[in-house]
Amino acid sequence: MTEQVLSPQGQQCLQALMRVWFEFERQLGRVPLLQRLDRGQFSKADYCQLLLNWRQQVIEGSRWISRCASSFDRDYSDVRSVIIGHAREEHRDYEMLEQDYVAAGGKLADIQHAARNIGTEALHGFLMYRASQSNPIDLVGAMWIIEGLGQKMASDWAAQIDKSTGGDSSYTRFMRYHGANDDDHLQKLYQLLDRLCQSPAQLAAIVRTARVTARLYCLQLEEVDHEY
Amino acid sequence: MSVFITSSGHFLPGPPISNDQMEPLLGLVHGKPSRLKRRILQSNGIKTRHYAMDANHHTTISNAGMAAKAAEHCLSSSFLGKRQIKMLSAATSQGDVVLPGFGSMLQAELGLSDIELHSSHGICSSSMMALKAAYTNLLAGEQTNALVVASELTSRLFKASRYEAAGSELDFNAEFLRWMLSDGAGAVLLETQARGRCFRVDWIRSFSHADAYPVCMSVGYRGDSSEQRSWQDYPTYAEAEAAGALLIRQDVRLLENIVKLGVDGYLRLISEGRVQPDKVDHVLCHYSSHYFRGKIFDMMQRAGVGIADHKWYSNLYDRGNTGCASIFIMLDEFRRTRQYKTGDTILCMVPESGRFNNAYMQLTVVEA
Repeated sequence: MTEQVLSPQGQQCLQALMRVWFEFERQLGRVPLLQRLDRGQFSKADYCQLLLNWRQQVIEGSRWISRCASSFDRDYSDVRSVIIGHAREEHRDYEMLEQDYVAAGGKLADIQHAARNIGTEALHGFLMYRASQSNPIDLVGAMWIIEGLGQKMASDWAAQIDKSTGGDSSYTRFMRYHGANDDDHLQKLYQLLDRLCQSPAQLAAIVRTARVTARLYCLQLEEVDHEY
Repeated sequence: MSVFITSSGHFLPGPPISNDQMEPLLGLVHGKPSRLKRRILQSNGIKTRHYAMDANHHTTISNAGMAAKAAEHCLSSSFLGKRQIKMLSAATSQGDVVLPGFGSMLQAELGLSDIELHSSHGICSSSMMALKAAYTNLLAGEQTNALVVASELTSRLFKASRYEAAGSELDFNAEFLRWMLSDGAGAVLLETQARGRCFRVDWIRSFSHADAYPVCMSVGYRGDSSEQRSWQDYPTYAEAEAAGALLIRQDVRLLENIVKLGVDGYLRLISEGRVQPDKVDHVLCHYSSHYFRGKIFDMMQRAGVGIADHKWYSNLYDRGNTGCASIFIMLDEFRRTRQYKTGDTILCMVPESGRFNNAYMQLTVVEA
């Protein structure tokens, strides 16, 4: 990656967001499901359970991004364009995820009818709430976490899942595709950071939303193991 | 009160060993040349290193012996004699004996009397932990000087016979470090008074993340999902060795985390105001491999807190990766051979992959 965030404020924000990301990775390292994945004690059933839970967030994901776009007023029409583009690219990603679920041995009806887990409820609720505010510039912090996760899935998790479940990448397509695409998204994100982070208050808001998103994302993953 | 590094020293055993000389010295495992060697050496960029072992696999000098030589080298250019040393703080990943502590063995080897003793155990960052223990001891007013020594003799683990004893095929993780690590020792002398041109220690900090990451480098268990037993849990040590529990391993898949965590600590120190990137004149970073140097450099650059290429110094390529001794061997060679001036700021970084402990230190060049 060669692109740089240019303004001093954007630069500071990027540094803070990198730290939030590193902290998030450590939080992920403490999630039991992901610890099992690390140890190679992760079954196909675990993977299906992960997708089943994940799908409920992915399908809602495009909603908050679309709403976020529409909440930007005329002064931010350039930002709106970028975010609409992003939302359009991703709003049917969940279909690939569902296909992976079926390829891994799950039933389509199960994943389509599953409820949101507690973490997903919280994450979705928070993101929709923030997206409904006028000019929700802080959501670039949420995008940072979610895009970063896409890269982590592709570069890390997909291969580990295939390895420990004896897969041939035929049912980890969502993770792999999503990561490949996110590289380009990350570049756009850098530009957004530069555009949207122009004051210390904006910096604080972006970083705070990134931290809340990271925490709730972890909660969502912790909840994958909980069945009621 | 301030604490100063008033002298330093190092010891590297035997002649420099080139890449081509490594395998004849360490031995062919099952009589076959390594298929991974070239790839690993290409990536780490190391050209020569030293071994405290000859081609017959006889140890030429003990770990404590090397540590003592480095300490004597350090004292030989200091204002202090052995009798005046108040504290010895020693680090290694594996002493010559399991017990007693490495510091005790080193003290006897050096012939230091009535000192306060500290042994630090770990991998690459253990030297920085030993240094911090001594530094805080001096800051607290407990002692007026401390000799800090770090030494590694890992080649004992790389003899072909070790791998053969552990059975059939070598896996990548067990072979990886064979082409990375080598032997050597380094020492620094801390004093509460400056002497001539020396380095003031501004601060030493470390951040450990063992709770969030699995083990990345180990000796003492196989560490795979099927076998978590310690070497001490086998009925006999012979069985532990046969099961591969005594091989030194690196989980290469986890290694990349070192880059992020290294930069993470650096960003924390910036936000605390301890590091000001534009004021750093020299960077001494113990990266295990040239490959990681690029990664760390790029990530710092991307965060907008990069430090210019020409400010980075390392002697990894000629002296080898000597684990915890590396940073002292580097600091010693820097001190003796490089250009620096009063007021210069030196940032030392030691990211350890064992279970991810990252240590940092800032020095300022002062003139007494």
